[in-house]
Amino acid sequence: MLALKERNNQAFGFLYDNYAGALYSIIKQIITDNNELASDVLQEVFINIWRKIETYDQTKGRLFTWMLNIARNASIDMLRSKGYQNSQKNQELPDNVYKGGVSQTTQQNVDNIGLKKVLEKLKPEHRVLVELAYFKGFTHEEIADMMSIPLGTVKTRIRNALLQLREYLK
Amino acid sequence: MNLKDYIESGIIESYVMGLATESERAEFERLCAQYPELVAARRKFEESIEASAKEQALPTPPEVKVKIFEAIGKSAPSSLGSTSSNPPKIHTMENSKSPARGPGMLRFAAAAAVILLIGMVWLYFQAKQQNQDLVKENDGLKIQRDTAQNILNRIVQEQKQAIGDPNTTVVNMVGTKSAPKSSANVYWDSASSSVYLVVKNMPQLPNDQQYQLWALIDGKPNDLGVFDATNEKLILKMKNTKKAQAFAITIEKRGGSPSPTLEKMQSMGKATQTQ
Repeated sequence: MLALKERNNQAFGFLYDNYAGALYSIIKQIITDNNELASDVLQEVFINIWRKIETYDQTKGRLFTWMLNIARNASIDMLRSKGYQNSQKNQELPDNVYKGGVSQTTQQNVDNIGLKKVLEKLKPEHRVLVELAYFKGFTHEEIADMMSIPLGTVKTRIRNALLQLREYLK
Repeated sequence: MNLKDYIESGIIESYVMGLATESERAEFERLCAQYPELVAARRKFEESIEASAKEQALPTPPEVKVKIFEAIGKSAPSSLGSTSSNPPKIHTMENSKSPARGPGMLRFAAAAAVILLIGMVWLYFQAKQQNQDLVKENDGLKIQRDTAQNILNRIVQEQKQAIGDPNTTVVNMVGTKSAPKSSANVYWDSASSSVYLVVKNMPQLPNDQQYQLWALIDGKPNDLGVFDATNEKLILKMKNTKKAQAFAITIEKRGGSPSPTLEKMQSMGKATQTQ
């Protein structure tokens, strides 16, 4: 950890090699349909990790948790950005026209990877809430508004869903 | 509060996954500092998330790593298992005019550049450090102007640190009958023989007169230097003395006298060493 805080090049390379794939997976579960923007986010995430490493506080959780939340937040920010909204319009073009090549092989069905796969096991009414909260970044209040259910219910269902998730992850 | 219920409430998962509200987070962090079981449960969930995420890792676009290291201003270190960042060396006949020197020089130049960079970074931090030291010193002077006592304590502290336990003796100089209000402190460090004088209250003297500090060694006065009482809170570094049973301050003609005028003794204090 000390080495990282001293911005040790080698340590950062190691960090990348070890975690980039896992973080890229979560990024792609949020930015499901644009490999180019997903890899932009991955890049931004690691630059942020590098810049903010001093602010990581061990008492608040594991390093991976910290990085995962940076990745999730950056992905959701991207999801809501103008650039992303615009790119959505271009999506009407056939995918392989401008993406082409290697990346296509990783464009698997994202519903079958990572947490989303685990989410499949949840009850639909629970799943949709976790989907909205975790992968779309909506607040509990926004979800309550959207779905016209009481805030308390949203909270309880999400909590319950997360508890089930914990069991599935074991 | 029932900790078990709290642990089973889903708060850990909300917290770790970044879904907890600001107040929930604050409460959770506060309780974590209190209950190791809670931290252990959090850690367990974090580990399972991490394991799952790593299991589900996707291959990353190879250019991303290069771009990241470009952005942070360093070259990407070669990684195990990554072939792209460590291309095999191929010597062709065409460019082998100096086959050993070509790549060798390049590597040498790269190494030199790295060393130069390290040197520059080092210099930068040196300069920064020096600047910080100057700022600190400046602050120190401001403090000295305000509270002489503080800075003196700091000097004593520093000396204690430097020498170990130097047995600094603080001698409280009390006024004599002829000058009951006079007071000063002598800080005598018997290890380094340094003597510091803090003038707390010494009456102003006519221009042709000065105070003189004496160390009494085996009954004989030894001159430790003269001082004015122009500034009330003043620290003075006096002459060193290895021995002293007591200190005394007298009023003498400007420049001091070889021996004290005892009837003009202003204050006196015993240096009781507890060694």
